[in-house]
Order: sequence, then structure tokens, then C-alpha cells
Amino acid sequence: MISPESATPVSFRVADKLHLGAPWEVFGERARRYELHFNGRVIEVIRGPLVVEGYGVRIFRAHGERTGIGFQASTDATESGIALAVNDATQIATHSDFPAKRVDLPSSAASPGVEAVDPKLWASPLPYLQEYVDALLAPFDSIKDAVPSFGSVRATLTETSIANSAGLHVTYPHTTIALELAVKAFGGSEGVPPGEYWVNQLTRRVDPESAGDPVPSWCSYAEDARRAVAPPNGELPVVLPAHVLAGILPSVLGFRWTGAARLRELAPASGTVVGVPGLNVDDDGRFPWAPNTAPVDDEGVTTRRRTLIGGGAVDELLYDVLHAGAFEVPSSGNGLRGLSFGHRDWLRFVDAPGAGSSTLIVEPGTGGSDAEIAEIASDGIWLQQLGWASPDAISGAFGGEIRIGYRIRNGKLAEPVRGGTIGGTVVALPGTPSLLSCIAAIGSEARLVDDLSSPTLLVKPLTVAGDAGGRPT
Amino acid sequence: MTDLRDFEADIDRILTRLERAAPFADIVAQRVSGQGMRLDRRSTSPSTQARLQGAALRAWAGSHWIEAASSDLTLPGLEVAVDGIERALEATSVRSDPPGPSAVTDAEAITNPPHPVSELGMEGMIALGKDVLGWATQVPTVRDAVVRIAWEDEERLYINTAGARTYQRITRVNAVVSPLAFDGGRVEFDFLGEGGIGGMERLTFLTEPNVKEVAECSRALLSAKAPPTGAMTVLLDPGVAGTFAHESFGHGTEADQFVRDRSYLKPLLGQVVGPESITIVDNGAYPGGWGTIYFDDEGNPGQRTVLINKGRFVGALHDRETAQVLHARPTGNTRRSDFLSRPFVRMTNTYVEPGDWSLEDLVQEAKNGILLERATSGIEDPLGGQMQLKVKHGRKIENGKLTDLVTSMALSGKVLDFLKGIRGVSSARDFRIEPGYCGKGHSDVVPAGTGGAYLLSNAVVGPA
Repeated sequence: MISPESATPVSFRVADKLHLGAPWEVFGERARRYELHFNGRVIEVIRGPLVVEGYGVRIFRAHGERTGIGFQASTDATESGIALAVNDATQIATHSDFPAKRVDLPSSAASPGVEAVDPKLWASPLPYLQEYVDALLAPFDSIKDAVPSFGSVRATLTETSIANSAGLHVTYPHTTIALELAVKAFGGSEGVPPGEYWVNQLTRRVDPESAGDPVPSWCSYAEDARRAVAPPNGELPVVLPAHVLAGILPSVLGFRWTGAARLRELAPASGTVVGVPGLNVDDDGRFPWAPNTAPVDDEGVTTRRRTLIGGGAVDELLYDVLHAGAFEVPSSGNGLRGLSFGHRDWLRFVDAPGAGSSTLIVEPGTGGSDAEIAEIASDGIWLQQLGWASPDAISGAFGGEIRIGYRIRNGKLAEPVRGGTIGGTVVALPGTPSLLSCIAAIGSEARLVDDLSSPTLLVKPLTVAGDAGGRPT
Repeated sequence: MTDLRDFEADIDRILTRLERAAPFADIVAQRVSGQGMRLDRRSTSPSTQARLQGAALRAWAGSHWIEAASSDLTLPGLEVAVDGIERALEATSVRSDPPGPSAVTDAEAITNPPHPVSELGMEGMIALGKDVLGWATQVPTVRDAVVRIAWEDEERLYINTAGARTYQRITRVNAVVSPLAFDGGRVEFDFLGEGGIGGMERLTFLTEPNVKEVAECSRALLSAKAPPTGAMTVLLDPGVAGTFAHESFGHGTEADQFVRDRSYLKPLLGQVVGPESITIVDNGAYPGGWGTIYFDDEGNPGQRTVLINKGRFVGALHDRETAQVLHARPTGNTRRSDFLSRPFVRMTNTYVEPGDWSLEDLVQEAKNGILLERATSGIEDPLGGQMQLKVKHGRKIENGKLTDLVTSMALSGKVLDFLKGIRGVSSARDFRIEPGYCGKGHSDVVPAGTGGAYLLSNAVVGPA
């Protein structure tokens, strides 16, 4: 079994014990997790250290012009544990069949040079989390009739290591902090039910000094939910800020712009016009403090920035090692683990890598501030929060219930709206309306939210379904 | 090691250490194994379940819980975790007992199907998958299909300082086929999936007629129009009705939300919330259900809990703490996503009990509206009482008949209005439970079954 105090990274220890023909790869992680769960200002559970150390071994076996891939993950790095994992992977490889003529694993990696570790969190996890939570919740003391009703902060401190048969030995640390907070507004008129605003954030660092800054806004959204009215029914200009777009764009572009989609005839051809001329979208695996930022991808390939959409037209696609092998192109450094729904960022080693986007960057435009974007919309909806956009990466459809939004009247935010749905298609055939092709304004200031850095976008129109009676198509 | 119980002696020693340091402690150890495969026209990707094991340790610190976990089940590995708990306990002085009753169950339960899917072997799973792919791609325009088949054995061993010891091994099987239809640059798909506890019987739905029927729907979606928008009469298929029971209503009955004053349902316990035709149940003991558990992660047996009985909201789901606060009994609904995740009050199999209508009569009763089919997702709003359900496709209802196929959409509304608007539920002939995964908030995902029969009410619908 693995000693929790082992100094040598797990993938190096496993690699040293492998007796395999090339090519092979070992991805290992040792994660320490710390959590604070609270109910109001009361701590419910203190968790940590939650220690997990494991590895995934992947082997590649040529079957003529194709390749068999075997993968197995384990938390057992003893000789016998490794033997079992390798045996599993070998068996899997005999049944696997993938159209890659060859697999080129990286032999060296760039120096770290990325911002992915919160040093204070790394040095003193639980006290620093407690300091952050105290700062986050402090503003509630001076806000009347609003409380944090349910919340948690979960920090994961990880040492990732990758070794392969090409000679790569790379290791780097990284931190993530997930915040979940339900803000409840109540009081006032008898009979008016409470309202809630639900905050979910994933970051690489936190700052207690500014932790409480957004709390008054969150409380306002919760209060506005109490007096919100149903939206109108129809095709309307809709303003989508970065935190809404973060639930829409990465799921669709992060699949359709990959070699995996290309292999299945689902990727757009290079040069196809999919968006307005002012739309430029990149993928950047080194974007400062983004949750997926790392010096190398999960296959050890050095990360970099790629242009996915330039001037509204399709440019590059993203590749992991396998799909790069299928198309005989280099990997773009986009082999990522944990791409499936419900993945756990402290158990990434249990997943084989696939092709995906790291951090999508929508370049700022000339639309100005959020207030100026609303001014351009003139009459429409400001979407503050959707229930769950849950985009369909294949059809591109997205949408959901408006949990809180605002009517825009005469270019200004007016009454709050809630209920009803907003939906559309992220990307569609040329000539068919879509989110990307109907962008009417691109804001001038980008914000990093989870896996997306984007300015606010005005889309004109999207379909809004209110409760004003059915409208047949 | 071939069985989680092989580690039991060391786990017992660790519990003895915790017992000396805290008034109450418990340990949940977990181990998983299994196989799966995914194939399409271009690749075959078999897989094995990760050899993953570990234990969660929990001790009562007088006012809150302290937890630690380790992926190393040997004594030295577990001692690292218990060291952390002991250090944290040294900072506390209160020695009171934890809230609620401690389980004292001493039992074992193991899924033992007559024909386990493991007997198929990887060759058998791939051969079945290739048959399914072949059937699907015989339908014009369906050029590809994604086929997934998997089984998983999950062991959990629970022990506590009150004397409980439960061991369970649950075998879950699931499969899904998604035929992809192409027309120029447009791609559409429908899907068909089933899952539950058991063996080969869970895969018998993968027949040529069933696969071709879903492939034909993929093809038809290429020319389907967008759904109508706005408030209208809605008829939910059994899977969508189950997603309503789980997401829209069930999450508000998880009593930890009551304790936090975060459920719109809390003040309505005991009141009539819908017509007599609606009964909603959470059932961790449902035979073969995808969300069935023999024991929960506090050592209580999985059980059937009625949430709405003939229109009256009568029950909530409890762990030991909520049971204490709300003067109830634990309902066997305490679940950890894995040994690294904390326990929460969670649903198991949540469903609408069948009624006595036929589908044909419900369509006639609707007169004009829309049938929502093939649930894809839903999300809760436990405080606000709003609802969001999403489906892959549907059919218009015009003059009491099912007419045009329409593309994916979302349903929105107020849960209490939706319940009051229920006009009928179809009979047991249509009843089914579908497999799904549920998060508590945005994480802590567990298997959860959702089900029911056709259900008629009113809501807002729009494309999504």
C-alpha cells in the first residue's frame, strides 16, 4: 500500500515498477481535501484531511493501422497492486480498437510558469479556509433580512505527476476551491415567501480581503426573486453575463471543437462561419488562475493558447494524443481527465483522458460596460441566473428556467423576472440562427468564471417562454 | 484482498481508537469493481471500474462532526486519518452524545442475480454492443450510434460505536443506446436506456425492434419543429413524471433543508397539496431499483417512505440529526457519494404511484397541449419552489390526438401550482423506473432512480 507520507510522486514510483513495452503512461495524483460546511453562521461539519493517492496506467498496443488502448486506475501502488492494474489494462487493450496509426507521447515538458497554487491555502489549509469563510459571511451581520442558509467551501490540494515510456517525468502542484452558498432573503410583508440566490464558484485561489464584496449583490438578487414577475412570451433580446455563459459555451464548444467530434463528423469544418464577425474565441490552458490551468495537460503535453473562432469563422480544433494520432496532427495539449458529468476533481486519476477545452476565452469587444450593453438591448431580458442550461453538445440546444433576471426597458434594468424559460442553439448551420450568429454586442470587459473568460454578450433574439398563454410555432 | 470484509479487523481497531476519543464515531468503508464498454462506428472502448477503495471516519465533537478519510485501508493508512480526528477532538471539550438515534443494525445483503452480466465477459458485451450498433444503423440517415453497457459491484461496510455493523454488495447494471441521424450538417439523436440492480435481465430491452424504434425517432427529429412556447396543458411521460417527483418535489422533502429553513414544503407538512390522484414515494427498498440501497451510510435499512399520500404531504426524508430536530425517525436516506464525500439526506428511488387512467384518455382529456418525452435533466429549487425539467423531444396534442414530433424543450412552473393542476395519472401498465444520477447542489453525485406513469397537468414550456 501507499504510504501517505511518501515523498516520491506516485506516478514515478509506479513507473519504476513497470515492466512493459512502450508506449505507456502513468498519471498520478496525491490529493488532500479540506471542507467546511455551514448552516447559517454555524459550522455543521469540518472535514479533513481527506487523503487520496492513486494512479491511472494507460498502455497502447498497435493492431495493424489501429491502436488498442488499455487503462486502469488504482489506489494500490504495491508491486501486487500495480501488477493487477497492469493486467487489467493489458486485457482491455486487447479488446480496444481506435483508429490511430501511432501514438506520440511527449518526452519533455515546459517549466511550470503558470499560476495554479494558492500559497496560503497550501501552507495552512483549514485555518485559511476558516479565515475565508469568516470574511465571506461577515457582511451578512450588517444586512437586514438576509442569511446564508446553506453552504460549503471545499479545497483540494493536489500534487499531479506524469511519467511515460518516452522519458517524461513531470510533477506540479495545484489548488482548487469550490464555494457553494445559498443566500436567503426574507422578512417584510406578511405572506411574501423568502427568495434565494444560489452561488457556485470554482477557483484556484481565494482572497479573504475581498471575499465578502459580492455578498450585498447576492442578497439583492435573493430579495428581487421575491417580487419577480413572469417574463413575457416571445423572441427577445437577451443579455448573457459571463457567469451564465460559463454554463453554456464550454459544454458545447469544448466538445464540438475537438478531434473527438471531428472523428464522429460532429466538428465544424475549418473556415465555416459560425458567429458574427466580431467574435473571437480561444482556448488557453495557461490562463492565470483558471481551474483547468496547468503547465501540461493530463497527458504531459505542454499547454498553450489556441484560436478556435477567429472573426466568426472556425479556426483550430483541440486534440489529445489519441485523436491527434487518428488525424496525424500534433496534440494541442488538450488531453483532459474528468470530462464526464459528476466527475470529482480529487479523483481525476480514475478517468482516462479525452479531448476537451481547458479555459475558453471570448475576447472582449466594443460594446462597453454592462450598463451600455443593456442600453443597446433597449427592450429585452437581463439573464442573471438560469436553473441549469445543461447544453446538448451534439445538437447544440441549451436552455432552462429563469431563476432570476430583469426586464430591460428603455435601455435600463427594470422589474425582476422569474419563471418561464429561455433557450436556443449555441452553434448551428450557416444561415440558421444561433447564439453565436445572433450576437448583437460584445462587452468590453471580460470576467473569469470557472472554465470561461468572457465579456457580457447581447444575443438578439432568444426564445423566451412566459406564462402569457401558448403560442404555436 | 478479494472482499472489503478482509480489511474489517483493522477497521475495527480504528473504531476502537475513535471510541476512546469521542462519544460516538462511525466508519464507512467502500470498494468498487466492474466493467464497461462504449462503442460507436469508429472505435471500441472497453473499460474496467477503477480499483478504488477507502474509508470515511466520522466522530461527534460535541457540537459538530469531524471527518477524515483515507484511500489506504491498511492500519497505517487508517491511522493517519484517525490521528487527524484525534487532534481536532483535543480542541473540543463537550462530550455530549450526537443528535438522533444511532443505528444498531447487524446484517449483510448481497445482490445475487441468477445470470450476472460479468458472465458475459468483455467479448460478450462488445458483441452485444455491435449488434445494437448494427440494428441502429440499418435505419436511413442513422450513420452512427453510441452504445454503452456497464456493470458495477459496490461494497460498503458500516460500523459504529453503538454496535451497528452492516455489509452490502450492490451490483448495478445499465445500458444506453443513442443513434445519431445526420442530414447535411444537422445532427439529432434520441436515446434509450435502462438500469437497475441485478444481472442480464437488465439488458433484455436491447432488442432489434426497440433499437430500431429509437433510431427511427432520431431520424424523425431531423425534420421536427421547435415546440410551442408558453403556458399550456402538459402530459409527462413516466420518466419525466419521475424527474418531477425527484427534482421538483423530492428535494424539498430532504429534511436537512427543513432544518436549514430552506424548503418551501416545510410549513405544508400534513396539508393537502394536490388531488387524490397523486401519490409520491421514495423507496430505497424497491426491488431492483437503480437507486435501491440495502443499508444507508448511518447503518439503517433502505425503506419505503410515502411523501405525498393521495394529495396530502405526509412525509419527509431523514438522517439521524433531522429526525432528532423534527421528532421523526431516520428513514434510511443518509448517503455518501463516496468515502471522500460527506453524508447528506438523499433520495433513492423516487416515483409517482400509478393511477387509473389510460394514456389515450389522458390525451383526450388534455385536448390541446404537449406530451413531453425522454427526460434529460431537471434541477431543484428547494426554497423557491420553482421547477425545471428538460426533455429530448415531445409531441403536440391537438384536438385530443397526438400529432407532430417536436424537438427538445424545458418545462417551468411553480411546483405547488403544478401539483394542484394534476388531472390524472396513468395505470401501472405504463409504470417504470429510470436510472439517473443526482447531485446535492452541484456535487456529491449518487445513483437515483426516478419513475412513474403518464401524468397530466399545466406548465410553461419553451425550446431548450
